[in-house]
Amino acid sequence: MIRLNNVVASYRTGRGSINAVDGVTIEIPDGCILGVAGESGCGKSTLMKVLYGDILSPMTLASGSIEYGFVDRRGAPVTSHTVQQEWFRRVSYVPQSSMNSLNPVIRISQQFIDFPGNDPDKRRVLEQVRAYIGKLGLPAEALDAYPHQLSGGMRQRMMIAMATFFQPELILADEPTTALDVVVQKEILMLLMELQEEMGNTIVLVSHDMGVHYQVTHRMLIMYAAKAVEYGDSDSVFEAPLHPYTRMLISSLPTIGDDRARDGIPGRPPSLWGELRGCRFADRCPFATDRCRVEEPVLVEHRPGHFAACHYAGAEMPSGGVQWQ
Amino acid sequence: MGVMRYVAKRLGLYLAVLFIGLTITFLLPRLMPINPVDGYIGQIQSRANGSISAEAIAELRVNLEQLYGLEGDLFTQYLAYLKRVVLNFDFGPSFTYYPQPVSAMILNALPWTLGLLLMSTFIAWVMGNMVGLVAGYFHRKKAASVLEFVGILLYPIPYYILAVTVLLLLAYVFPIFPLSATFPVGQMTPEKFGMIIYNSLLPGITLVLAGFGWNILSMKALAVATTEEPYVTYARLKGASNWMRMTRYVFRNALLPQVTALALSLGMVFNGALLTEMIFSYPGIGLVMRTAATGGDYNVLYGAITLSIIAVATAGLVIDLIYPLLDPRIRHR
Repeated sequence: MIRLNNVVASYRTGRGSINAVDGVTIEIPDGCILGVAGESGCGKSTLMKVLYGDILSPMTLASGSIEYGFVDRRGAPVTSHTVQQEWFRRVSYVPQSSMNSLNPVIRISQQFIDFPGNDPDKRRVLEQVRAYIGKLGLPAEALDAYPHQLSGGMRQRMMIAMATFFQPELILADEPTTALDVVVQKEILMLLMELQEEMGNTIVLVSHDMGVHYQVTHRMLIMYAAKAVEYGDSDSVFEAPLHPYTRMLISSLPTIGDDRARDGIPGRPPSLWGELRGCRFADRCPFATDRCRVEEPVLVEHRPGHFAACHYAGAEMPSGGVQWQ
Repeated sequence: MGVMRYVAKRLGLYLAVLFIGLTITFLLPRLMPINPVDGYIGQIQSRANGSISAEAIAELRVNLEQLYGLEGDLFTQYLAYLKRVVLNFDFGPSFTYYPQPVSAMILNALPWTLGLLLMSTFIAWVMGNMVGLVAGYFHRKKAASVLEFVGILLYPIPYYILAVTVLLLLAYVFPIFPLSATFPVGQMTPEKFGMIIYNSLLPGITLVLAGFGWNILSMKALAVATTEEPYVTYARLKGASNWMRMTRYVFRNALLPQVTALALSLGMVFNGALLTEMIFSYPGIGLVMRTAATGGDYNVLYGAITLSIIAVATAGLVIDLIYPLLDPRIRHR
């Protein structure tokens, strides 16, 4: 289990400090695919960086901690300060654009083994990799190719091969399919799901696409303005969302046979620079009351394993999505 | 597939460039309103106080036209020119040092210039790239900006000021090197060779310093841009070491434009030679060219210009042939 305890990640800028992730506390069970959704600037990517332990200036982990639930070579539990030692082997990453994430002038086999380590080991690793990529639907020769000789789909498969080869405990995938067409996108997602089922590792998948989340994930985390607003089993979140923001995200999904125009969510998220009081979604929420504007809701468990940060999470709301007039 | 085809294509292009270059060199002076033969005859006439007979002048004209390759109409001249230059590398005799053949003068001076210029250009390139790479890769660190400062300091200094300053400093203030160097000629002995190296150090240092600054700044800019590439970030997130990322990721990619720059500057060595060789009285092509230009020695100038064309075109050919080895995207198209 990966435990995030009140994680606050802030960026130091000339104007002062800004919290891009502001007090996220969740527990990610082992062997699940966690989807993270939310609009641009909600802190998804920052949360991924913190989870990966890629904490570089101007970003800092202002407070809170992450426990990864496994121990390092010396037997000490891995935390945000030591997770960097585990990169590639036990915590890996699938980048957004496979197009630019491979060095264009080096053979892929060389890029497969440029993690820290000694050479005889790596030669052995490479032999195993050759066998492994066959399983992912890649010809063995693809390993000796240069990136430009492979198609976009093959390159992304290669990135997934890199991320999964050592069977890491945790794989972070930051919009791994955005650059691909829908057919290849589906293949890549199916591949990720298959591998996850086989290896039983935890995958955290960031995507804008609620459809992708619905198909792929076991659990969902919805973020809004640096806060976690809803967290629970995907079935539960998609069937009966608790937070109005989640409802709106889901009701923006098209369904077959329904040809009404989809509504967006009017308004914009609040600037994180200002003084934030009450619920951050209150200005855009059709159900907001005075209490929402003053008192900040906390993430509480409303159903077993299903958390939401809304004062009226359990309350009855109009069914059939939200009507806007 | 087409390695041979690629090479053949580049070679064909190379020959075409040479041919066009030679043609332009042939045509340009013939477009000038003055005729060197008339000028020369005029000079001789005035020296002899007009006492030369018309027959003698006619004979002189025939001889001079033959020496200059000016017999017959333009097309005949052109064919004769191509035949002489391409087949025999023959530019006729020098006028200042008559009857020494131009090709011999050039071939004598060539090793000097090539030795000094190629070596110093290459050293400046290697050093500048190494310093620039470190300055660019660690551009967020304060210490790295000191390296860049070296480049900013050196780059804008005009070469002649730099050269004279170094000359004053290292030959006059601190007399480490001779103020006016002597370069022995004739049979090469180890002793003479050592002397040549020693005397070439001073001009060499000025050339390295002059090229160093540009190479630092250029490599630094390329390295900074390359560090931002997603593949460098991804390599970092895989845990690849700084050294690995700097050499295999940043350097290998930033190198490509720098190789082009190196080949181009190697092609331009004869231009750089002029000033250096004048300041340090170094017996290379530059000095030959300068003497020829001031003395109106057309044949020598022809020879030197042709050599420059060959040098630039050859540099281009070398880039084309080396580039596929460095960039697989060109190799496997």
